Amino acid sequence: MKRIEVLFPDFCNIYGEAYNIEYLRRCAPEQLEIIRTDNHTEPAFVHSDVDMIYLGATTERKQEQIINILRPYKERIRELIEGDVIFLVTGNALEIFGCYIRDGEREIEALGLFDFYAERYMDRDRHNSQMIGTYNGLAMLGHKSQFSFAYGDFDDCFIEVQKGIGMNPKTMREGIHVHNFFATYSLGPFLILNPYFTKELLARLGLEERLCFEKEAIEAYEYRLAELKRTMK
Amino acid sequence: MVRFMITLWLAKLAMWVYKLRGRERDDRPGLLAIKLCPDFLRRIKKPPLVIAITGTNGKSTTSALINNKLVAEGLRVSFNDWGANLYAGFALNLMRCVNIFNGCRYDASVLEADERTLDVSMGQIEPDYILVTNICKDSLRRNGHPEYIFDIVERTFNMLGKKTKAVLNANDPISSQLAQNNERVYYSVADFGPQPFENIVRDIEVCPYCGARIEYNYRLYRHIGDFYCPNCGFKTPPARYEATEVDLAARTMTVNEEGAWQQYPLISDAVYNVYNVLGFVALMRELGRPAAELADFLRTQQVTKIRETCVEFNGIKYYTYGAKSQNVSAASTVFEYMAKEPSTKDVVLLMDELQDKNHPPETLTWLYETDFEFLNSPNIRKIIVGGHMYLNHRLRLLLAGIPPEKIVCVEDEADIVEHVDREGIEKVYVLFEIDFVSKARRLRDSIVERAKEEAAK
Repeated sequence: MKRIEVLFPDFCNIYGEAYNIEYLRRCAPEQLEIIRTDNHTEPAFVHSDVDMIYLGATTERKQEQIINILRPYKERIRELIEGDVIFLVTGNALEIFGCYIRDGEREIEALGLFDFYAERYMDRDRHNSQMIGTYNGLAMLGHKSQFSFAYGDFDDCFIEVQKGIGMNPKTMREGIHVHNFFATYSLGPFLILNPYFTKELLARLGLEERLCFEKEAIEAYEYRLAELKRTMK
Repeated sequence: MVRFMITLWLAKLAMWVYKLRGRERDDRPGLLAIKLCPDFLRRIKKPPLVIAITGTNGKSTTSALINNKLVAEGLRVSFNDWGANLYAGFALNLMRCVNIFNGCRYDASVLEADERTLDVSMGQIEPDYILVTNICKDSLRRNGHPEYIFDIVERTFNMLGKKTKAVLNANDPISSQLAQNNERVYYSVADFGPQPFENIVRDIEVCPYCGARIEYNYRLYRHIGDFYCPNCGFKTPPARYEATEVDLAARTMTVNEEGAWQQYPLISDAVYNVYNVLGFVALMRELGRPAAELADFLRTQQVTKIRETCVEFNGIKYYTYGAKSQNVSAASTVFEYMAKEPSTKDVVLLMDELQDKNHPPETLTWLYETDFEFLNSPNIRKIIVGGHMYLNHRLRLLLAGIPPEKIVCVEDEADIVEHVDREGIEKVYVLFEIDFVSKARRLRDSIVERAKEEAAK
């Protein structure tokens, strides 16, 4: 039995993120134990082993609350990352792992596990875009809808973007991939959007690479990929 | 002032030209006015009564009721009923109210107002009342999330202070917290047993003050109900107007107004329309309209045709029904209605967003926030989806547990017509994204035409 801890699902399910883990569960219902940790409970990863940790996109206010909740466990999180525990972090949740978030005059100290910072632009129109990129030979899809961008070198990026933008409009480097830590600004049901990556994730969990409604998921992915390649500049 | 007057004349001239061309609802003259004079909305004279209606869902229905009532009283009312609920639409609306000397000649203005831009627009217009129907999850592309929208609306009320009275939905844990520094009045609905389904995503999960999970004495739909925080004092505020007896089948509700009772007709059998009618009643009562007069007026009202139309052929009713796609709260609520409305039906989904043409394959997120699970209901015989998102819809419907034999997904929307049942059902609903009013009617009419052709054979 593999254990997946979903952190703060009450805070981090604003764009259908919950379906990432629901989809994984449907892929291997007998082999996955899902632990849902709320904001008043000490995370399971603090004192026990988990195989994967998921943190989804959230609101700006709750993002700051999450930083405060996780701050005492910063070193434990570092240890888990270095110990090859799988992390999947989507949307603006990735900013939690950087150095700080700038919001106008305010600077919100983040966990500082990776060397980058984020800047919010709450007074501008929200950034929305699609993305095609590659990871480990796989064509990856993503969509972004956010008030902020991240800045840094991103030498350990997750996805090399081919069409769309990376962590900010001036880079094609997207996300973070260190050991088994995967973070991306792409939000929502990332694993449904990228069935081949989901297979890889199942393999990293030591599970059979079989997807729920695999044929339908891959057909939707192939159609979307072809359509995006055709229509995106 | 000179700049404003010249702008007014030019914009009025443009209005006149557009009117001559039969395009009096085109809001480009309003856009021109804003471009030439950025504080146009502040400078233009307002009618003696200005009412803004905002919120995620229910604005169109509620504002139409308010407008219709004021017009029925013989007042001259300017109303942006064509969906232009941004700056340009407001400018056009208010320009209608004044002559070329900026003298006001109308009695009232009813403004359906987009919540995303409320602070800038209403900060200048300074309405007498703002009715907030609710704040729910909406398109992430534009509206982000409910907290973001709450902050904008709250900023608006803070700017307006005592100039504006807030009329608020007490049963919404989000919007009920607005206008803490303004005069405000609440309306609420008592439990009448609609037994709402559980949503996969809630618009608000935890107490905004202490972070504990919000509990409910009862819930009526989505996050709307009698809420409380088990950890602090956060709870449904007391309402001046409480719908105590709601009978959806009979389409009536009784409102307790501080001990005085009045029965009112409802305009439909949908739970959310109870709130729309109650919001209208609350605002009109605040304006001093007699309760019995409002009840008489409501007997003449129905759901606006933008939202719902129906034609009948061969014993089957064919509806177009507004659902709003990426507005997940609206889509889920309509799906719940489809399941609870007992007729045997086919449901056609025409819900890809027109506004996403700049982002060709629109985001999938709304599919996984919306409760497609509700469509897994015995009275829904078939679900038919067309368009370039058809494979994503198929996957989502399968994951929602819909039996494969009930799902028809076709790439070409024109093929939908061939798959709609022509017997064994009572109704066909074409659920449409709100940009597709005409498209939905055309598709519905094609379905009816096809049924007529079959019947003629």
